[in-house]
Amino acid sequence: MWTYLIRRLAWNVPVYLGILLFIMIVLRVRDPVFARLPKNATEQDKADIRAELGLDQPFVAQYRDLLRQVCTLSFDQESWSHPGQTVGQIMKRSIGPSLAITVPALVFTTVLSVTVALCSAWFRGRLPDRLLVLTSVLGMSISFLVYIILGQYFAAFRMREITGIDLFAISYDPEVSGVGGMEFVTTVWPRYYLLPVLTSVVVAMGYDTRFYRAVMVEESSRDYIITARAKGAPQWRIMFVHMLKNAMIPIITRVATTLPFLITGSFLLERYFGIPGMGNQLLLAVESLDFPVVQAFTAVFAALYIATILLTDILYALVDPRVRLS
Amino acid sequence: MTEIGSSRAWRKFLRHRPAVIASVVIAVYVAVALSVLLTGWITLEDTSARVGPANLPGFGLLPDPEQRMDNAEWLAERIESLCDRADPEEALAGFRDLGSRRLADLNVDEFRRRIDAIWDTWDRLAELDDVNEAARSPETGPEVREGLAELDRRCEALLQPVSETGSVWRTLELLLGTDRQGRSIFLRAVYSIRVAVMIGLVTGLLAVAIGTLAGLAAGYFGGITDGIITWLYSTFASIPGIVLLIVLAFMFSGGELDASLNRVTGGLLRTVLGGRLDETLIPVYISFAITFWIGPCRVIRGETMKIRELEYVQAAVVMGFGRMRLLLRHVLPNVSHLMLINFSLLFIAAVKSEVILSYLGLGVQNGPSWGLMISQSGQEVMKGFFWQIGSATGFMFVLVLAFNILTDALQDVFDPKHV
Amino acid sequence: MSSASPSSELPTAAPTARPVLSVRNLTTQFRTDRGLLTAVDSVSFDVFEGEVLGIVGESGCGKSVTARSIMRLLPEHITRYGPDSRVEFSGCNLLELKERRMRRIRGDRIAMIFQEPMTALNPVYTIGAQLDEALRYHTSLSRRERRRRVLELLERVEIPSPERRRREYPHQLSGGMRQRIVIAMALACEPDVLIADEPTTALDVTIQAQILRLMDELRKTSQTAIVLITHDLGVVAQMCDRVVVMYAGQVVESAGVDDLFHDAAHPYTRALLESIPRSGARRTGRLATIPGMVPGLDEMPAACRFAERCSGREDRCTRIAPRLTDITDARSVRCHFPMHQAAGETH
Repeated sequence: MWTYLIRRLAWNVPVYLGILLFIMIVLRVRDPVFARLPKNATEQDKADIRAELGLDQPFVAQYRDLLRQVCTLSFDQESWSHPGQTVGQIMKRSIGPSLAITVPALVFTTVLSVTVALCSAWFRGRLPDRLLVLTSVLGMSISFLVYIILGQYFAAFRMREITGIDLFAISYDPEVSGVGGMEFVTTVWPRYYLLPVLTSVVVAMGYDTRFYRAVMVEESSRDYIITARAKGAPQWRIMFVHMLKNAMIPIITRVATTLPFLITGSFLLERYFGIPGMGNQLLLAVESLDFPVVQAFTAVFAALYIATILLTDILYALVDPRVRLS
Repeated sequence: MTEIGSSRAWRKFLRHRPAVIASVVIAVYVAVALSVLLTGWITLEDTSARVGPANLPGFGLLPDPEQRMDNAEWLAERIESLCDRADPEEALAGFRDLGSRRLADLNVDEFRRRIDAIWDTWDRLAELDDVNEAARSPETGPEVREGLAELDRRCEALLQPVSETGSVWRTLELLLGTDRQGRSIFLRAVYSIRVAVMIGLVTGLLAVAIGTLAGLAAGYFGGITDGIITWLYSTFASIPGIVLLIVLAFMFSGGELDASLNRVTGGLLRTVLGGRLDETLIPVYISFAITFWIGPCRVIRGETMKIRELEYVQAAVVMGFGRMRLLLRHVLPNVSHLMLINFSLLFIAAVKSEVILSYLGLGVQNGPSWGLMISQSGQEVMKGFFWQIGSATGFMFVLVLAFNILTDALQDVFDPKHV
Repeated sequence: MSSASPSSELPTAAPTARPVLSVRNLTTQFRTDRGLLTAVDSVSFDVFEGEVLGIVGESGCGKSVTARSIMRLLPEHITRYGPDSRVEFSGCNLLELKERRMRRIRGDRIAMIFQEPMTALNPVYTIGAQLDEALRYHTSLSRRERRRRVLELLERVEIPSPERRRREYPHQLSGGMRQRIVIAMALACEPDVLIADEPTTALDVTIQAQILRLMDELRKTSQTAIVLITHDLGVVAQMCDRVVVMYAGQVVESAGVDDLFHDAAHPYTRALLESIPRSGARRTGRLATIPGMVPGLDEMPAACRFAERCSGREDRCTRIAPRLTDITDARSVRCHFPMHQAAGETH
């Protein structure tokens, strides 16, 4: 197994180097110097800014510097649009808010949609199942943004107007950024984060339920299910013991592939509700051509992505006795 | 594995009634898109012109009393200010913000007189604390409603339709109401079909073409070709799609790209695409294509590797058929169903991503799109106005749903083992 | 008894004994997009203690559906049984049993062996766990007792080093071994009836012989009645006491195994027999095949279902549906013109 993992890791080294190269090249399509030039700038100003940003260095040197930051895990380059702050500091500050949305959303969505999919498979071909399939296709055909807008309007705005219950904030309040610990969990999170989480769950449910249902239906038509029934196994045992463990393989794959996205956060939700997470930060960085931030974010994400693929392989081997890592 | 040429598969597809209906719906959308593109029965100017008061509801429904008063106020003020110009006649004749209607043929004094009458009614209503409340209450209700009707009549008396056919066009303009800037929601939503279909078709075709070429080459030739292509798509896949989209869309949206493309090709793009709308879509097309080719590439590479090992392909190799011929005659037809399914999937992805990019200001720049409409409707929704978000969502919903149903049916028929 | 008299009663091998399992007019229909399809049409037969009843027919003739109907393993919401269909077992009609009670019979009193040992076992659980399941549901044995019983079962189906195999997963075993496991699973609770649905089809010839020998021994030692479903007449000749031949969802002939092989009455049975290669038979140069195809479920002819492919077809065959008719005490046939030698004598 170890040799397998090492070989996989070795294969991913060129991929990773490629990602860093790619993102650096793409970013340099636009010249960040223009955006920072004062009015009536001279050639000298231009050269100064270029030198200040480190863009006068040869490309290879810039690449080497990014690589050094990644390898030493010290993102100490200064952000261009937040002078005085290093990229590492920005990441550290924004990862919390992102995780506060994505982690609960992933947990709720997965547990709910696997349960719903099991129920659907139980009622396969009958009314509840058909309704579910229909609802999820209908739900998938509506834009995420519509859910966000309507969710905010009805759950936060109208609810307050009609019932007087002020449960959800309409948008994020920067004042609460410093709050941590228990207070965050009991007051800040429900007020500022729960609504984005719920919106995210509703949107993701359509896709996930459909996928998991397909998995369950596939499993429920397998021969070993008939064998189990012929042994006199009760329905619940067939579903939760026989089917679920087999279905774990695709479930794990799906959950694992979403893991790296936990740290990127949801761009749309963070932007709409004004939550200062990674997604929002990255958007700002792209808009202000803040190369160090974009590069570092992409580098961290890609590393996590590759790591989760390896993790998935290991999990497979744990769940499915047929899989041998070699 | 089912070949796309198999008539049995198509018969099975035709028996799938929802899929057939979905195909018809898609055909209608494409037809509308083409008609807009080719005949220009809705122009970009139509969609950006002010056709009446802001936030009118659709289907000729009346806005709430407050809104009706605001609308009357807007019209009266505009015309009044025109009457105060140095050359009022000319200013009035040049007044354009009424869609397919224009001002009545009256002289300036008559306009003044009529506007004063409007203000009389308006002032009477404005004395009430809350017009909406007053219109609802049983005592004051009839009187207030009568006042509002009078206000509407007096406003109407300032206008006249351009021509006989103008009234049909007028109905269309106001069919689904107007947005915050008084633009026709219906015309914008219909014009957006063209935008969405263009984005879906162009990016779908581009991404499938790139993905198929790369996938076929990687799966068929193997070796170093496969190594490079696998490396390339692993690289792209390890950057989250949305990050890639945003970075690419932003980087290409500066206009340098299409400017340089035009420079190199001698204005080819401008000649082909014409309008300024389509030029601003180039960054969208490019970033979508670069992001989306990975999906079809991966699937087609896998399938090609399987097909290459099949006996009849091996036999053809032994018999000395040329590689290109083999690839085109035997491998390509066997992956064509995957191309179709992937195209369908990418069409959906493109239409939906457009909304997100447009919301972030990186999508469609000039002219309407469902994404821009939905993004703009956020504030309207807060005021309880749902016509814009509803129309854009509705139009988009039908198209995306049709593609979802179509994709499912295609997968059922051509790729039944797919989970 | 006259050969013309229609019969709903089937001949019995031992008229004095009571059948363990008795299937009467079993009709199984499926609700599909193409309407209600009848997969099994008025099938009747009895199974007696310690005997092996063969059900023979081409694939798609309704053998497996019959087996699954008895066990009620078909998806209930799309399956319909005929109003006069009965599957009698220990005094009750299984088709009307509540799912909860049916579950107590499955795996305990009636057990089943499947065709594909590769897929019939759950890939993610050990052999031991899967063998243990039936014992858990149907016995009150303690964990330790169950473990001992599992080892016993493994030994009984001749699995070498059972203690090790118990902890292994299906993919670590060969096809023949897996089929032994499936058999062991079926035998776990000493069932009264064992339904074997093509138990050897997916196996190599040498393994086939081993599995058949194993089943034969089990029958002898435990007096279990076996319903052996197969399309392989060689297996039938080797194993069965009596045979039911099915064609297109109906029973076309039923007889003792010797009668069937030496003096088949239905043209379909004859055609089947002629299509097996035999070393002792006359060398005619090539094997006989049956022309044509089994009619699809949605295009069943109203008259004789075999008429289309029958060499002895006459006008009547395409107009009137033949009924299953007793020709002697122990045999019946569904044909207007039965071909056996005894037919001439009784006429």
